[in-house]
Amino acid sequence: MALRVGVDVGGSFTDFAVLDDADGSLTTLKVFSRPDAPGQEIVEGMRQLASRHGIQAADVGYFTHGTTVGINTVIQRNGLKLALFTTRHFEDVLELARLKMAAYHNLFSRRPDPLIPRERVFGIEERVDAEGAVLTPLDEASVAEAVRGAIASGAEGVLVAFLHAWRNPAHEEAAEALIRRLAPGLPVFRSGAIWPIIREYERTMTAAISGHVQPRVALYLDAFEDRLRELGVGCGLRITKSNGGVMGAAQARAECVQMLLSGTASGVIGAAFVAEAAGLPRIMSLDIGGTSADVAVIVDGQPEYGSGEVIGDFQIHIPSVSVTSIGQGGGSIASVDEFGVLKVGPESAGSLPGPACYGRGGERPTITDAVAVSGLIGHAGLGYGAVTLDLARARAAVGGIASQLSIPVEQAAGEIIELAVSGMYTDTSALVSRFGIDVRDFSLLAFGGAGPMLACFLARELNMASVVVPPAPGVLSAMGGLIADLRNDFIRIVYATLAPSVAPRLAEALEGMRAQALRWLHEEQGFAGEAVLSLAAEMRYRGQSHEIPVPLELAAIADIPAIIRAFHDRHRAMFGHADEKAPVQLITLRLVVSGATPKPQLRPCPPAEGPAEPDRMVPVYLDGAHTEAALYRREALRAGHGFLGPAIIAQPDCTTCVPAGFTVRVDHFGNLIISVPEKH
Amino acid sequence: MSLDRRNLQILANHCAAAADAMAFTLMRTAHSTFVKETEDFSCTLVTPEGKAFASPRHFGAPWYSGIDYGPVLRMIDDYEEGDICATNDPYSGYVCTHSPDIHIWKPVFHEGRIACFVVGHIHNTDVGGAVPASLSRTLTEIEQEGIRIPPLKLVRRGVPNREVMDILRINVRMPDQNHGDLMAQIASVNIGERRVHEIIARFGYPAFASGIEQILDYAEEQARRIIRDIPDGEYFFADYADEDSEGGNPCRMALTVRVRGDEVELDYTGSDPQLASSLNMPTGGEARHPIVLVGLTYVLYTLNPLLLLNAGTLRPARAVLPRGTIVNAEPGAAVGMRSLTCMMTQIVTFGAFLQAVPDKLATTSPGGNAILNVRTSGRDGRTVMASLGPVGGGGGGTPRHDGPNGAGGAQAFLKNTPVEINEAEVPIRILRYGLERDSAGPGQYRGGLAAVMEFQVFAPGTVVTARNRNRSVFSSWGACGGRAGHTSRFEKNPGTPGVLSLGNTDIVKCDPGDVVRVIGPGAGGYGDPFTRAPGAVLTDVKRGFVSVEAAARDYGVAIVDGAVEGPATAALRAGHTARQGFDYGARRDAFEAVWSRARYDELTTVLARVPVQWRHYLKGEFFKAVAAGTHAALGERAQMRRLAEDMLKKHGLDMPLASAAE
Repeated sequence: MALRVGVDVGGSFTDFAVLDDADGSLTTLKVFSRPDAPGQEIVEGMRQLASRHGIQAADVGYFTHGTTVGINTVIQRNGLKLALFTTRHFEDVLELARLKMAAYHNLFSRRPDPLIPRERVFGIEERVDAEGAVLTPLDEASVAEAVRGAIASGAEGVLVAFLHAWRNPAHEEAAEALIRRLAPGLPVFRSGAIWPIIREYERTMTAAISGHVQPRVALYLDAFEDRLRELGVGCGLRITKSNGGVMGAAQARAECVQMLLSGTASGVIGAAFVAEAAGLPRIMSLDIGGTSADVAVIVDGQPEYGSGEVIGDFQIHIPSVSVTSIGQGGGSIASVDEFGVLKVGPESAGSLPGPACYGRGGERPTITDAVAVSGLIGHAGLGYGAVTLDLARARAAVGGIASQLSIPVEQAAGEIIELAVSGMYTDTSALVSRFGIDVRDFSLLAFGGAGPMLACFLARELNMASVVVPPAPGVLSAMGGLIADLRNDFIRIVYATLAPSVAPRLAEALEGMRAQALRWLHEEQGFAGEAVLSLAAEMRYRGQSHEIPVPLELAAIADIPAIIRAFHDRHRAMFGHADEKAPVQLITLRLVVSGATPKPQLRPCPPAEGPAEPDRMVPVYLDGAHTEAALYRREALRAGHGFLGPAIIAQPDCTTCVPAGFTVRVDHFGNLIISVPEKH
Repeated sequence: MSLDRRNLQILANHCAAAADAMAFTLMRTAHSTFVKETEDFSCTLVTPEGKAFASPRHFGAPWYSGIDYGPVLRMIDDYEEGDICATNDPYSGYVCTHSPDIHIWKPVFHEGRIACFVVGHIHNTDVGGAVPASLSRTLTEIEQEGIRIPPLKLVRRGVPNREVMDILRINVRMPDQNHGDLMAQIASVNIGERRVHEIIARFGYPAFASGIEQILDYAEEQARRIIRDIPDGEYFFADYADEDSEGGNPCRMALTVRVRGDEVELDYTGSDPQLASSLNMPTGGEARHPIVLVGLTYVLYTLNPLLLLNAGTLRPARAVLPRGTIVNAEPGAAVGMRSLTCMMTQIVTFGAFLQAVPDKLATTSPGGNAILNVRTSGRDGRTVMASLGPVGGGGGGTPRHDGPNGAGGAQAFLKNTPVEINEAEVPIRILRYGLERDSAGPGQYRGGLAAVMEFQVFAPGTVVTARNRNRSVFSSWGACGGRAGHTSRFEKNPGTPGVLSLGNTDIVKCDPGDVVRVIGPGAGGYGDPFTRAPGAVLTDVKRGFVSVEAAARDYGVAIVDGAVEGPATAALRAGHTARQGFDYGARRDAFEAVWSRARYDELTTVLARVPVQWRHYLKGEFFKAVAAGTHAALGERAQMRRLAEDMLKKHGLDMPLASAAE
């Protein structure tokens, strides 16, 4: 039981993090992902762990895994062909969605085609009202007819999503039982079982995605577990979740929607852990890869949570670590429009063909090529030597831009970087405004293959205090999965205006959730330790359309005046005012249960025994001028080392770029703590 | 840093971020449901002269990206640091366009100079006046539409003007809400000011000052480039709102678009006279008033979605807005429902440009989205007033694909309210919410289907309003051979012997058990429906969007037992005469058989020569006389002139008519 392994399978690379419980040591590894032969990357990774690090499968006592198989299924729409059974006269729920379209100035705007086409939607005679009372009993004949229609239409499964199933799921349950009887073997899903929120489109859509990805996820997990068994890993498989926790594979098979954002969420958990260890209370995580750039806000070790995260063309409405996309990452393509204005993105070279300098067929200039032309990367191999950088190709690609603008190639590269950073700044600034936070005392914690390359530039634009680069930024997601707690969310929709008479309902709802939560943790997940329960209520003034989450004490669930007070206080803290006379509605009670997993004792970095010695000086183009930067090798840096920008720190999984004016310090754990120069 | 053309996008990004920050602040803190549900607000950065150069990227009303605050900025004599000004008077500077929109602006100083202004508006739920929410088609003068604040300093050098706030407070129905919204606006411009200071510190004042001008120039060049690709010519289009007042005559919007090289003129001559209802638009005749150029903004952006939207975008355009008409009302006219009229300006703009670039634009969305509101009571006696959301048509068919269902085109910004939320909040029962079969205009690419909502009420004295309704008389047209959509319907107790068809009215009183049904207008199709792929028609039938009968009648596709029957389809399609051009629907064809373009030219000419107060009245008199057949034997032009002479003589309006007859 000594070794804990976390594996994150991404589009290009698969990352391994191995924690030795005995001494807290962390071993990391990166191998190519194998979309052509899923599971093969695990075999390869375990082989290398054995040969390079002497880590044996038999010693592994805990195994977590994050995967993009679910999200890819939604993007490619190649999952289960579902039929949808709705309440009759509400069959167009997925067609109408919430009406609004993103690009509303374009007369050609369309909503994406529904995940379940209208010809596979069947109305069922039944009706429950908002109080849960039955207005029209479930008509079994209409269910039978719908089952016949669904099978005739080629449906491979059925989603049952009736109005007000958040309040009373009896009709959904009865319909499910009936369908199973009529069509044994046909997969059946219920909206109220997957995530019972109020708002029919959001609940139906979330359940549709969950059902759509289910068989592929299940097959994938079966194969993955087989592979682990063959390798001789004796422990069960745990899957990382969108909410930043982990769950057993059985739950992942049944509740696929929980794992769609597992990779991004566990990266944030890893970032939160590193920041807490380093004593940084307020951070923003910055994860830039070849095709994505994401930020998240973490305060006191807790990420911001939200719902409505984007999956392909749709949103899912389950509690998730709130991660915001700020662009397409290092592969974003630069171009010049017909008016001579430089643009970056939204086109991306992706991971294939990728940047020109990767020499894998890409010819158009990307952000990564601009960074290469500037001399900031390429001093060591990239991606653990998996990629060799071809500077000539980068110069040729960026040279096209330079000649269009009639400027030297280095200047073009510099302006591409600056423009790319300003685009990331704009999207990050929107996130900062949305959360209403002041980032001037935040640190930017950079990871992913390209995060450390661009972090200093972005932090400077945002006027943030510092940049933090952990020792192994490329494998933070894998490590995050490793240390994530067992965690599950439970909700009850209450939808009541708060008055003393509501107290018994709240107490009853909490009791139900508490029992469910403890059963989940101790029985289903087999966790023997202490359960941590945290309760929040989503509340609003009557008439408002958005709820705000208010943390509550479990013990004070019946103290209505205290709950109302807590809401006023929270509203005032967020918005600067509160209306003490207005009626307050409590819409949702949410209980989060978690069981803590052991955390690594991050090993301190050996102390420095002299000043940091650069490997050599390299010519770079930085902030509009040719200059020289000191090149450091990361593995040679020791705790207590300090030096000034311009500097480049190269390591096998990424390169950190430090412009002039920044100060680098290596902390106790080997993190690079880079101070951003004060503005003006 | 130095900024020039090639790295202009960097400054543009920072300015957009500042506008986004203003919008997020507003959305987080505002109270009005207009802000939260329909995003009826704006947040803008404008140059010292008032030209908009940055707006939020993903939200806010899509009408104001090119606004010019200049006229209203100049109504304040001197600005000092810390001032915040406001107005909601539609006739002071013509920036505000109806009284619920409170506009505010704050100068941003740099070393004693005004570097720019940060501005914005919120649609307040109520600003007092004759009716709750301050808006009704029936209102006839601006004084009935609530309290108006002339341009003044709401905050002077950082000190709020309490007197103004107190006056506002006692004149409105929900003062706390207005106060909350005003505080949100102040917070929003303060954030905007801070962000502009950061941008100036980042780029330096000279780069900022010249950069924002270059951003306008860039948008202008982009717009000119787009216009240059539109064939030169004169393109006329007219359309009609169902009524010009409660139970009134059709209301005509006429537009001549003149494209010359890289410039475009939108001449609204021929549009109806100023009305004694609240459908008037207050534009002051400003040649680049944004609310008469909304349609142009959509057209240019659709032709090239990389277009930057700001005041520079509108520089190649010029509108002609005759005084005393619905597009340029004289001070004093009621203007509350100008959104319905503004939609008509967009529709005629689309119709005109479709003639110029038929392959590159979509058929219009119908407009006339009913904003459903209900006032009822629960069994506990509590009165509930709530919006149930919009019920309207889809987007028009396009040269590439069908129009989106339920909402689209120029109404793609609308958001609905979930059935479950409506039922949890309001003591009503929704019986149906979905898409109305066969409501869309057929086409090679059909229009979007209309939405339908049907609900039952349970309390006496329940009132249902469907503000903004239109298209219950005149269909939304089809283009390039596509057919018009179905008209909208508003009914009480449909399918019962007591069914009440409510025509174009927008209000109905209900008793317990009554059922109200609203069906939006369907959008028109694009291209001859007989050329639509039979497989696409079959899919529509399977989806319940098109009936088997309509498939045969409108598309010439025979569907039997869930499959296209080849020979029968060939037979239906044989001998079909190819359709081209616009299809306006039978009602409009019948109306224009009498009220031809020539007759309207005569009417417009006469009405332009009489005092504004007489125009709507005389228009009504003309309609009565024509309907009665007075002087009909003379032929239409001569009849109109004779009627004019009679009327002017009768009312002692001795106007020189000779020139009018030319």
